[in-house]
Amino acid sequence: MIEWVGRKTIAGATYLAALATLFSQAVLDLVLPTQQGRRETLRVLVRQILFTGVDALPVTTVIALLLGIIIVTQAGTQLPRLGAGGLVGSIIVVTVIRELGPLITAFIVVGRSGTAIATELGTMSVTGEVVALRLMGISISRFVIMPRMVGMVLSMLCLTLYFDVVAVLGGYLIADAQLTIPFYAFVESVTKALSTTDVLMTAVKGLCFGSAVAAVCCHHGLAVRSSFTEVPQQTTRAMINSFILCLLIDVVVTVPLYL
Amino acid sequence: MSEAALVLEQVRTPMFGSPHHLEVDLRIAAGEFVALVGPSRSGKSLIIELAAGLVSPEAGRVVLLGHEWSGGSESEYNPVRIRVGTVLEQPGLLNNMTLFNNVLLPLRYHRGALSDRSREHAVMAQLERLGLTPMRDRFPAELSHGEVRRGAIARACMLDPEVLLLDDPVAGVDAEMQLVLKAYVEERRADHSLTVVVALRAWSPFIEGADRLVALHDGRVKADGPRDAVAEVVPEALRRYVE
Repeated sequence: MIEWVGRKTIAGATYLAALATLFSQAVLDLVLPTQQGRRETLRVLVRQILFTGVDALPVTTVIALLLGIIIVTQAGTQLPRLGAGGLVGSIIVVTVIRELGPLITAFIVVGRSGTAIATELGTMSVTGEVVALRLMGISISRFVIMPRMVGMVLSMLCLTLYFDVVAVLGGYLIADAQLTIPFYAFVESVTKALSTTDVLMTAVKGLCFGSAVAAVCCHHGLAVRSSFTEVPQQTTRAMINSFILCLLIDVVVTVPLYL
Repeated sequence: MSEAALVLEQVRTPMFGSPHHLEVDLRIAAGEFVALVGPSRSGKSLIIELAAGLVSPEAGRVVLLGHEWSGGSESEYNPVRIRVGTVLEQPGLLNNMTLFNNVLLPLRYHRGALSDRSREHAVMAQLERLGLTPMRDRFPAELSHGEVRRGAIARACMLDPEVLLLDDPVAGVDAEMQLVLKAYVEERRADHSLTVVVALRAWSPFIEGADRLVALHDGRVKADGPRDAVAEVVPEALRRYVE
């Protein structure tokens, strides 16, 4: 048993070290730019932002609206029974802006783009494209990993903030239509509950989740070696590990701040 | 003796999928055209991978263009790799790019200062020479094996390499295009000093153009020299690869 725990611990630490190496190399490539391949790298980055950020807007809008409606419906019907009808704004801030906004955005990004990155890189590995790039003297870190990582981090940050705004809007729609909470009361309730820390924390979480998801998905994509059957296996691992890592980061960020 | 472009000195390394080890001691001079011939699992592709710095030998050393491949980082290898054109058994054209953009990629990445027009001109010249002009806007999945391989060779030549490492360049290429490929490589050799190392699994026009044949079997060099000399001394089992 102790041996098993020790083995798993070492494996976990090695895995995290590999992610940290991948991430730090990408950061170095970002902050130490060379003229070489700048336009090509920028092209990959723009494509990644379009796919991860812009293309994800419709699905993010729908999920955020529905979530806002669900939460305000529950809060608006239950809280008045406890004499806390004025806390609807707090509930939106606590559940959506602090927690569910960044987390659900991360899950959307993992499901849409994280798996796509893992699959794409896995296929590139099997078909010899990664080796071909190396043989052309093209840095895998600079040309493949860094633009995907930066694109995902920026997209995740923007999508998280967008998700929060749309979810609050969804909450207002139901508050106005069904619960007859007037607009000014709703806005007042939300703004009163919202602090600068909340906004900063949602942004920090967006950045951290984006970095983690990008590193995990690139790592698993490049871990594919020789067979196409490895691609779905590594993609599944990338998805599960991204979810777990996002939740871990959430705990690490949230607990010290709000406990 | 002229300066060596590629040296494999006392190299010993395991061969994947074979009980044998590759054990070679080869020196290829700058400007030489060497064909490695022999059956599958004889070590030809492994020599190409060793020369390209993709595999580290268990023992011995590999030196390409004066640079020893040993434990360096990718960023240290890249300046050497830019001087070498390599096409492996898997040509590795990027599936999300058209043939034109694939061949253009090395220029876009390493020769950013060139104008778009001169880069396009350079790419179209290569594609035309290899009979690929009508395929320029097709993706690799829409090309035949031979077209993909020719595209990969065109891409490998875009930076005017000093060394060309080709693993089975004629696989999937029809008889007429094999002659075109051979002529293409010979033209490039006439243009500037180009060292060519090709691995061949069957007889091909490249054997006629080679300065030197190296016949391999089970990881060992069985004969090494000009074609006629090799044909005389090569074991019976390898004769069909050189005649």
